[in-house]
Amino acid sequence: MSDPRIEAYARLLVDCIDPEPGWQVLVRSQPRGRPLVEEVCRELGRRHVRALVRLMFDSVGGVFVREAPLELLGRLSEIERHEVDTANCYMALIAPENTREGSDVPAERAGIRQAALRTAHEPYLRGEKPWVGCYFPTEAAAQDAGMTLPEFEAFLYGAVLIDWKALGERMEKIAERFDAAETVRIVGEGTDLTFSLAGREGMVDALGANMPGGEIFYSPIEDSAEGVISYSEYPACYIGHEVNGVRFRFEGGRIVEASATSNEEFLLGTLDTDEGARRLGEFGIGCNPGIQQHMKNTLFDEKIEGTIHLAIGTGFPQLGGQNRSAIHWDMVKELRNGGRIELDGKVVQENGRWL
Amino acid sequence: MAVEPRVAEYAELLVGRCLDVQPGWQVLIRSQPAARPVLEEMMRLIAGRGAFPLLRLNYSLWPTDEPWAETAPAELVGELSEIDLFASEHMDARVTMEAPDNTRGVSALSPERRALVRKGSAPFFRRTMGHEIPWVSCQFPTPALAQEAGMSVAEFERFFYGAVLRDWDAEEERMNRLLARFDAADIVRVVGEDTDLTLSIAERDGEVDEGKVNMPGGEFFFAPVEDSAEGTILFDLPTDFEGGAVDRIRLRFSKGRAEEARAERGEETLLAALSIDDGARFVGELGIGCNEGITQPARNILFDEKMAGTIHMAMGASYPHIGGKNKSGLHWDLVKDLRNGGRIELDGEIVQENGTWLI
Repeated sequence: MSDPRIEAYARLLVDCIDPEPGWQVLVRSQPRGRPLVEEVCRELGRRHVRALVRLMFDSVGGVFVREAPLELLGRLSEIERHEVDTANCYMALIAPENTREGSDVPAERAGIRQAALRTAHEPYLRGEKPWVGCYFPTEAAAQDAGMTLPEFEAFLYGAVLIDWKALGERMEKIAERFDAAETVRIVGEGTDLTFSLAGREGMVDALGANMPGGEIFYSPIEDSAEGVISYSEYPACYIGHEVNGVRFRFEGGRIVEASATSNEEFLLGTLDTDEGARRLGEFGIGCNPGIQQHMKNTLFDEKIEGTIHLAIGTGFPQLGGQNRSAIHWDMVKELRNGGRIELDGKVVQENGRWL
Repeated sequence: MAVEPRVAEYAELLVGRCLDVQPGWQVLIRSQPAARPVLEEMMRLIAGRGAFPLLRLNYSLWPTDEPWAETAPAELVGELSEIDLFASEHMDARVTMEAPDNTRGVSALSPERRALVRKGSAPFFRRTMGHEIPWVSCQFPTPALAQEAGMSVAEFERFFYGAVLRDWDAEEERMNRLLARFDAADIVRVVGEDTDLTLSIAERDGEVDEGKVNMPGGEFFFAPVEDSAEGTILFDLPTDFEGGAVDRIRLRFSKGRAEEARAERGEETLLAALSIDDGARFVGELGIGCNEGITQPARNILFDEKMAGTIHMAMGASYPHIGGKNKSGLHWDLVKDLRNGGRIELDGEIVQENGTWLI
């Protein structure tokens, strides 16, 4: 008998993309996602929508990204391109067998592939086509979270099967305050950073492109970041790599100093992907009360209530973001340990609590 | 990571001999998750040749999606999506690699839905059935296939690679010699347990499967003259049709048509299959198994029909490119073992006895 939580999850995910009859929806996942993939396909079928399942052995690009000649890696085949261009929507149901599957992919190769895919996915990034990204609870994802699978399932479904309307309303109120402000200052352990949101509106993710949602996010003014941020509490995780103790110093919006206490080579290699990789593309505020602890999984970690995150790399054009890059790397900063957020000089959050 | 040598050799065989992948090609690979080792090796080899490996991985074989086909409206299920149609029209080669987790877990689809699924995926098969592009159908030795064959995985892997990793150039030459004798003959007679059947292959040249479109290969086959089959035959190898087991099928032919059909198990399934359309009761193919790496049945038609010392006949559709005129929605291969006292005669001359060639 199937887990009723999976059926509810599948309905919720299809609600996130809100498809129209006749749409062609790409359903991307990995083999372990089977129970959710199959429920999502049934739900799409019921709504008269085509489900085009595309499984990969990992979410990084597998053997192809590791070994293909560079000139093949940098472009999509005609069939792939047609598929991405023609599809109305995609769903990424991440179901890892091993969350470090990309750890042996050099930053250069990953960057070339990401750039090719990012170009093809522009309409999704611009918000013209819907998409949703989420996790299916696997042993590997549970392991990263330091939990047993049943614990992780309870956690995951607890974070996604909630009253999104109520949470969305609460987040809208917070977003209004940020929309009205110009300068954001983040103060915390090893951290004193300011940047500007002047003229930029935020977006509330309650039932949208991420499941779980629960963040408010902006694209900051590209040349405004000044100061230092130290991600001392949590590792920064990106395409199978884990980097500890990341510290950046910004001047005029650009990272002018970067260091890490582990895997620094990958960090510096990624910053060299392109010019946009050294600037901020996103400032996000975690608001999901169902997520309390870091689990080395960005989709969840960036939603932890009482944290903020900043992404280096590409920004959101629909939020006014101008920065372009092949990368988009979210890094989460804990503020529940004495940190605070100021808006135009006024403290609005302290120790992770809204004032 | 070290790749198992047999897997590496198998992948090279498929990418090299079967498809001969060229730079810039888009190679569509439809398969299932359990085939991971050979799929990754193939993708490595294809990329190494400067071509795009396009993996179409699903729990059922693309372009079919079983759970979706359960709930989607009939008009969508019966028509290929625009995206998959484009892929079908632009692929330069295709691989079908079956790797089932459960050979009986086919689906919960009703026969009506199954027919719609077949209709929907027909455009995908058009270019390969017409031999417009290189293609190969093959399998990966999964525990489920081993179980079906009644073997352990290790035993099944030995069996599998023994059938597949052969000197195909030598096999091709050997089969071409045998085929020449058949091509020169008019009447084939098959005699064995409860069996005495004649068929005409006059003016119908055969074709050798020398390890290209099927892996394993190892047969040569004909489209017999449609109204020529006369007599009776017992197919002693177990088979199945759309997931239903059918054992020990007996057919009696008159003027090419199977007038009587019985089976010791699954007779209803047999009769349903033969009732699909008018062409389903006529013989679409006569094939001669020549693969000496296959010495026992594995309840797996891709292997069983190639077993040396057997012949098979397909009920239903024949191949137009070798002169076949029979049209049907069915093409169901049934295998007859001749190693237990059976024989093949060509125009009255015995050419094979007890499964051993005399020519």
